[in-house]
Amino acid sequence: MFYLQNNATSLHRNLLILGVFTLFLILGIRLYQLQIVDYKRFAGIAEANRIRVVTQPAPRGIIYDRNGQIIVDNKSQYNVNLIPFEVDKNDSGYSLLSHILNIPESEIRRRVKKNWRGRFLPLRIAEDIDFETLTELEERRFELPGVMYSLEPIRSFPSRANLSHVLGYLREINKEDLQMIKNYGYRSGDLIGWKGVEREYESILRGKRGFDYVQVNVYGQEVGKVRDRHNVESQFGNDLYLTIDIGLQAYAEQLLEDKKGAAIVMDAKTGEILAIVSKPDYSPGLFSGIVESDVWNELLNDAERPLYDRAIQGTYPPGSTFKIVAVLASLEENILDPETTVRCRGVYKLGRREFKCWKEIGHGRMNLFDAVVNSCNVYFYTLVRKMDVSLWATYAGKFRFGELTKVDLYGESQGILPDEPFLDNKYGKGGWSEGNKLNLVIGQGDLLVTPLQMVRFTGALATHGKLATPHLGLEYMEHGTNRFQRFAFSSADSIRSISASSWEFVEKAMYDVVNSKTGTGRAAKVRGLDVYGKTGTAQNPHGEAHSWFIGYSKYGNRTLAITVLIEHGGSGGGEAAVTARQIFSYCQKNLPKETDVKEVTVR
Amino acid sequence: MRKSIQIGSSISNSNYLIALTVFLLCVAGLMALYSASLHVEASFFKKVIGKQLLWMILGVITMFAIFLLQKKFLFDGAFIFYWIGIAMVVLPYFFGSSAASTNRWFVLGPFHFQPSEFMKILVIVAVARYLSGSDLIISDFKSLIMPLLLALLPMGIVLKQPDLGTSIIYFMLVFPMLIWAGARIYHLFIVLAPVISIITAFNFYSFFIWVLILIVVLYFSKERIWVAIILFVFNLSLGFLTPVLWNRLKPYQQNRIMTLFNVNADPLGSGYQVIQSQVAIGSGGLFGKGIGNGTQTHLKFLPEQHNDFIFSVIGEEYGFVGVIVVLFLFFILISLLISVAYRLRDRFSSLVVIGVMSVLFFHVFINIAMTVGLLPVTGLPLPFLSYGGSFIISCFLMVGLVFNISLERRR
Repeated sequence: MFYLQNNATSLHRNLLILGVFTLFLILGIRLYQLQIVDYKRFAGIAEANRIRVVTQPAPRGIIYDRNGQIIVDNKSQYNVNLIPFEVDKNDSGYSLLSHILNIPESEIRRRVKKNWRGRFLPLRIAEDIDFETLTELEERRFELPGVMYSLEPIRSFPSRANLSHVLGYLREINKEDLQMIKNYGYRSGDLIGWKGVEREYESILRGKRGFDYVQVNVYGQEVGKVRDRHNVESQFGNDLYLTIDIGLQAYAEQLLEDKKGAAIVMDAKTGEILAIVSKPDYSPGLFSGIVESDVWNELLNDAERPLYDRAIQGTYPPGSTFKIVAVLASLEENILDPETTVRCRGVYKLGRREFKCWKEIGHGRMNLFDAVVNSCNVYFYTLVRKMDVSLWATYAGKFRFGELTKVDLYGESQGILPDEPFLDNKYGKGGWSEGNKLNLVIGQGDLLVTPLQMVRFTGALATHGKLATPHLGLEYMEHGTNRFQRFAFSSADSIRSISASSWEFVEKAMYDVVNSKTGTGRAAKVRGLDVYGKTGTAQNPHGEAHSWFIGYSKYGNRTLAITVLIEHGGSGGGEAAVTARQIFSYCQKNLPKETDVKEVTVR
Repeated sequence: MRKSIQIGSSISNSNYLIALTVFLLCVAGLMALYSASLHVEASFFKKVIGKQLLWMILGVITMFAIFLLQKKFLFDGAFIFYWIGIAMVVLPYFFGSSAASTNRWFVLGPFHFQPSEFMKILVIVAVARYLSGSDLIISDFKSLIMPLLLALLPMGIVLKQPDLGTSIIYFMLVFPMLIWAGARIYHLFIVLAPVISIITAFNFYSFFIWVLILIVVLYFSKERIWVAIILFVFNLSLGFLTPVLWNRLKPYQQNRIMTLFNVNADPLGSGYQVIQSQVAIGSGGLFGKGIGNGTQTHLKFLPEQHNDFIFSVIGEEYGFVGVIVVLFLFFILISLLISVAYRLRDRFSSLVVIGVMSVLFFHVFINIAMTVGLLPVTGLPLPFLSYGGSFIISCFLMVGLVFNISLERRR
């Protein structure tokens, strides 16, 4: 009954077979395209799928003082990062995280918003978590997809001294800078030395990051090592040795505590800076990792300007300390016989204008030597009348005032050394007069110097004309070879055009400033140590005069040059000289008399 | 008589070849499942590969069990079986387990049945029964209505589960059977036209090209002019209305339709599964990465790897050579089924074999086209290779049905 004739024709059969064959052919062609033609592309994607490159951060080099005491070290910090996309998918993600980190959920969400970089990009929500928190995070890892922690080396500052301005700090590299230095292997998010030594010696301190190749599954969980790729170990940065003597530095910082000002101690022969203080400063620990913007803003907006490095950036009138320049000019150019005396009645009249000496009743009759010891203004007014500004500026220029010292710190100011073109430019030709000259000779007027320039000047006086480049980098130890490499600074220039007799004259006068009964710098006298010095009291429009003291002392094979500046500290013979005495005293007791020239050694 | 014996023996030769091909495909599937089982710490029969082997054995047993069925019984009861099947497919809506929040499963003791898989066979039998009716005039357009309704009813039910893949199979399997029965290609074109109109309407250029094709076909169809105009206007307005209606739908309604076309809800955004599948296949290259070395597979980048995407595992681990072998085996299987259907003298038997051929072929084509990114993901398994109890048993049942029907005469 149902054995009916099948009316399918061979056309039907062939049609179906042809259709099937065609569709199979399409699949075959597609497979050929995927597996043969595009093989390389897909193999690459598959490879990228399975391999995650984990960056091993490279610790920066350690910074030591000249005696091998650690100033800046590294420590490990665990930070918590999350990928918003992953955590958002998890209903209890934020509350669990809040519970573990002990941070309110709203605060976590605030940080997510603040540090937002994109839905799929990890952002930081907590720093420096303790070990317990870390353990809990690790235990509950599978409940918290998209949450991870990273180990990052950060800076730590174990030393007693702050040394904040010198050390500088690290900062996350910004986009513009990244463009410039991309070729050096920096990547977005890297920390880079931004100020101070960290910036100046970036290439030495910086380590080389390593890479671990990890095989991950689709959930991003590590499932093993990659067989055919070798991990690259991260390399430490080189250790840096500074010229700083950390004990002296800490002591000097303590002396200037609660004051505003700067103090510098430099080896006059080599330019090595043993101590450099700028107060007020800040704790370098604030900058150990990535700086929170509120901390940063607080520092920036502080009226006391703690970020401002008074020692190298601050420019001040040098006051009477600058009279030495006129002394040398007079002696060399035979402007006035040193024995010629000038009577000081406390005031000098120029036309109708009166120029006062600091001692109102006057110094009486003074020769050049006495005028230096007593810092008599009237003598120098008289002297400078016989000089033109260019001559004076030439002598000041021999000490490179108005120029950068080329210290190995970022952001140095160059100050102002007014010469004729400068005055012409500022006041117009003929717009300035003898009065400007009178101000300049006592270190006032348009003249501006940095404490760093002053310490170099002091060093030149101490060494009879050697102008060393002040610096803080002593040497570094090459990582791996452990070989010490000393930094080469341009050898000190000598001021040859000044005769020995003039140097000696100044030296004797500076000795008497400190050691004679009438010397203005008597407060700097140290028993058992020959201290040479000059005080300065710089009038300024902002309030009480700045107190200056420059001085040096020789003992053993060392010549130490010191500059102290106390903003609004009053007379230079007072606060600045006292501070200088304390520093000299400390050096006398604590510094080795001989500098040990470090040999290139292998440790 | 002599001739019929010859035919019979050549059919039985074909059947041996079909059995061999099925066996080789099962081996290929087990080889791919072996990879998926590599890292599972469990006894053999708890692993995917072990369970699959058990299902296959069960499949072979049911395949022999179906030999007890008389063809006459099948022919006479075709519509009764069909309605019983419909009842079974509807049943999960009331008693089913809501595995994966779909109403596909029917729990019977330890077994989870998917009645919709077996329903395919019942649709084949019912359609074949209708098309072999002695008073049927196949060249008449009206003869197409009943087979289409027989397919559309379970299609609608399954679509609501939602199981887009299976419902597409119900719809598609009818067309080769109609062609085989001698229906006019033009009629089939008219039936498919509204579907194409709706799909192409979402893109202006595709709709434009479709309208051109429509005009050309209608012009050459020798159709009465007013019928041609009605058909044209109907399809055209359908195309214009679709975007309008779509935009008037509420977003949740749109979403409901969208999920229908994206049954394996895509967790990581559009096309993730297809991309990972293509990466797996593409990175396999000519010879593949070797058993157990497929990183896409073992690092779980490849989704549904023992199920809908098993072909990608073969592509990754056995390479172009491996997939071409599998593709060739499927082509052989389909061709053998067509040749068996061709040689069967009896219209009903022949149509059942074509129905089986259609189901297997559309499964193979849609599944592989999906893994290589030629078709959207609809969630159809690959016959004899994909893991899954109901499906593998239904595949064996279909092959068993072919053996039974083609050897009936000799018994």
